Amino acid sequence: MKNKLLFGLMIFSSLGIMTGCGKEKAVTHTDSTGKITYEECTLTMDWWGGDTRHEATQEAIKAFEEKYPGIKVEVSFGAWGDWETAKAAEYIAGNNPDVQQTNYDWIAKYDTYGTTYLDMNTVSDVFDLSQYSDDVLDMVKDSNGGIAGIPVSITGRTFYWNKDTFEKAGLSVPTTLDELVNAGKVFKEKLGDNYYPLSINAYDRAILCAYYLQAQTGKPIINEDNELTVTKNQLEDGLKWISSLEKNHVIPTIEYIDGEGVESMDKSGRFINGEYAGVFEWDSTSGKYTAALGDNAGNLVVGNVFPELKSYSKVSLMFSISAKTKHPHESGLLLQFLLNDPEGVKIMGNERGIPESKAAYDALLDNEDISELSAQAHKAVLDSDPVFWNPLFDNSLLKGDTAAYNVVFGQLSYGKDVAGNSYGVSDASEELYNTYMQVLSEN
Amino acid sequence: MNTLRKSKKNIGFIFILPWFVGFLVFKAYPIILSLYYSFTDYNFFRGVTTYTLQNYKDMYVNQTDRAALIVTIKYVFMTVPIKLIIALGVALLLNKRSKMVNFFKVVYYLPAILGGSVAIAVLWKAIFNDNGLIHGLCKMVGMQAPKFMTNPFWALFMLGTLNIWQFGVFMLIFLTALNMVPKELYEVASIDGAGRMKQFFYITLPQITPIIFYNIVTGIVVSFQDFNGPFIITRGGPLGSTTLMSLMIYNNAFKTFNMGKASAQSWVLFVLLAIFTALAFITQKYWVYQPEDDGKK
Repeated sequence: MKNKLLFGLMIFSSLGIMTGCGKEKAVTHTDSTGKITYEECTLTMDWWGGDTRHEATQEAIKAFEEKYPGIKVEVSFGAWGDWETAKAAEYIAGNNPDVQQTNYDWIAKYDTYGTTYLDMNTVSDVFDLSQYSDDVLDMVKDSNGGIAGIPVSITGRTFYWNKDTFEKAGLSVPTTLDELVNAGKVFKEKLGDNYYPLSINAYDRAILCAYYLQAQTGKPIINEDNELTVTKNQLEDGLKWISSLEKNHVIPTIEYIDGEGVESMDKSGRFINGEYAGVFEWDSTSGKYTAALGDNAGNLVVGNVFPELKSYSKVSLMFSISAKTKHPHESGLLLQFLLNDPEGVKIMGNERGIPESKAAYDALLDNEDISELSAQAHKAVLDSDPVFWNPLFDNSLLKGDTAAYNVVFGQLSYGKDVAGNSYGVSDASEELYNTYMQVLSEN
Repeated sequence: MNTLRKSKKNIGFIFILPWFVGFLVFKAYPIILSLYYSFTDYNFFRGVTTYTLQNYKDMYVNQTDRAALIVTIKYVFMTVPIKLIIALGVALLLNKRSKMVNFFKVVYYLPAILGGSVAIAVLWKAIFNDNGLIHGLCKMVGMQAPKFMTNPFWALFMLGTLNIWQFGVFMLIFLTALNMVPKELYEVASIDGAGRMKQFFYITLPQITPIIFYNIVTGIVVSFQDFNGPFIITRGGPLGSTTLMSLMIYNNAFKTFNMGKASAQSWVLFVLLAIFTALAFITQKYWVYQPEDDGKK
C-alpha cells in the first residue's frame, strides 16, 4: 500500500514538473516607430579585436538594448590569437552565438554546405541589404547562393610608419622599395642594430611576398579558379627578396621578433618605443596602433603601397547570424542597428574599417567620424589597384602556428629546418609550392 | 540461500551501473572511435572519405611528426630525472624535526598547485623573454642570458624548468617514504661506523626504491602529456623544437581539423607511454627493493 502511494506521488509530481517546464508564451514588443515588432529574448554575440573596438561595440550594444527594451545581448570578446580555434570548436559542437563576427574565409571553411550561417536574405525585412553593392554581397555567398554574412568593410594591407624614428635617422618615410632598402642601411649606421624600418612576422611576410609576386604577374597569387598563378621559380624569387630584406637590415629576423614574446605588433615594446619604425597591416587596424603609441600617436603616418608591389583587397570581416539561432528576427534587428542605423554606426565608429554600408559611410562622414588615418590607409590600398583575394590563401594548412607560412618563413629566417639541417630559399620555395598545390587539389 | 546470494550480486552490479554506463559512454566509446578514426582521413567538417594507414606512416616518414616524437622523448628524459633528484634532495633537507619545516613544506608544494595553470605559463613567458626578468638580472651582472624563447635548445630547457618547478608532489611522497625507513637500520649502521653518505646510499636509497619507481612512472606519464607550457609560452617554436606530441595532436585536431591524424598520433603516444611504463615494470626486479625478498637473496 505504502509503495503504491509512493509510486503515485512520484508520477503526479513528475507530471507537475513537466507542465511547469512547458514553453512559455513569448512576450512581444513594438519599437518606437510602431512598425517593428520583436520578441523579448536574450541574444548572444561575440567578436575579436583590440580594446578600442571592444569599448565601441559594447557601447553600441547598450544603445541597442535601450532602443529595443526586452532584448538583452550577452557578449564575449577577445584578441585574435587562437580566437578562430575556439570558434571552430563551437561550430563543431553547434553552439555558436546568435550573432558573430566572422572572417571572410570562414564561409569556405565552416559553411561548406550553407548550414552554419543564416542566409541574410531571410531577415531582409529588418536588415537593409540595399545599403550594400551587389558585387560585395556576391563575395559573401555560400554554396547555396545565400548571403552568409554582412561584409563590414573591404580591406587590404599597407604600411604604417613612425615618422619620428625616420626623422631621427635623417630620412623621410619610404615611398618606394629602394627607399625602404636604403633605410635599412641608414638605420643600422645612425640608430643602431636594434632599430629597423619595418617589422613583419611570418604571415606578414607571406602577404608581402604575394604583393611582390602579384606586381610581377599582374594577377592574384591564387585566382578565382583556384589556380596558383606563379611558378616554383617565381615563388623562389619572391622568397629570395624577403630574405634580402633581412640581410639588408630592413626587417629583423623571426628569432629577434619572437624573442620579445608578444602576440601582436601593437603590444610590442619595440614598436611602442620606435625601434620598429614600421608595420605592414590592414587598413582597418590603424586604431589599435595609434592606441598603442598613446601620446606619440601623432607619429604614426600611413604609407603608400609601393609601386613595385600589388595589393589585394578582401572583405575585412563580416557579421553573421547562426543558422541555429532561435531569434533570427531579433538578431537581424541587432545587426541593422550596428551596421546601418546612424545611431548605432556613430557609436561603432570605424573600428572595423571604412564601412561598406552606404548609410553607415554617410553617417560617419556627416559626423566627421571617419578617422583620417583609416581613410588614408583605405585610400592607399585602393590607389594600388588591388586584385582579387582567394580565401584559400588563408587555408589552415597555410596559415596557423604550425602551418606552412610560419614554418617556411621561420625556417628561412633561421636558416635551418626542424631537424637542424640547412634550409635555404630553394627548400622554402619547394615546401611552400607543394603546400599551395596540396591546398588547391583538396579544394 | 542461493537466491539471496544472487540478489546480493545483482544489487552490487546495480550500484556500479551508473559508473559503468559513464565509463562506456565517455571513455570506452570515444577510445574505440578514435582507434577507428586513426585509420581514416576524418575531418570535422568533411567527414570520412577514405581509409588509410598514412596517418601512422607519417609518424616516421614526415619530418615534422618525427621531430615531435623525438622532442617529446627528449623532454621527458630531461625533466623526470632532474625533477626526482631535486624532489629527493629537498625531502632529505625537510626530513627533520624543526619549527620551520611545515612552512617550507607548504612553500615547496605551492608550485605543484599553481604550476599547471595558464597564469603561471604567461608569467614564465614574461620571465624568460628577451626583455624579461632573467635577461634583466644577467644584464645587471654584465652577462648575456641565453635566448630562451628563440634558441631551440634553451627553449626546451626553459619549458622543462616549468615542469621541474612543480616537484612538490614528488617531494611530499619522498618525505613519507623517508619517514618509513626503520630508524634501527641507521642506529646499527652508525654503530658499525657508517657515515651519512654511506647510510644514504646503502640504507635510505635502497629502502625508498619502491617510491622512486612510483615517482618515475607517474613522472613519465605526466611529462608525456604536458601541454600548457608549449602551447602558451612557445606555441611549439622555435622551429618546432618545443612541439611536443600533445601540442601536435591539438594542432591537428583543432587547427587543421584532421581528426584522423590526431587520433593516430594519440594512439602512438599511448603505445609509447605503455612501452616506457612496461620497461620500468620489467626492470624493477633488478633495482627496486622488495621487502618480501629479505633473507631469500
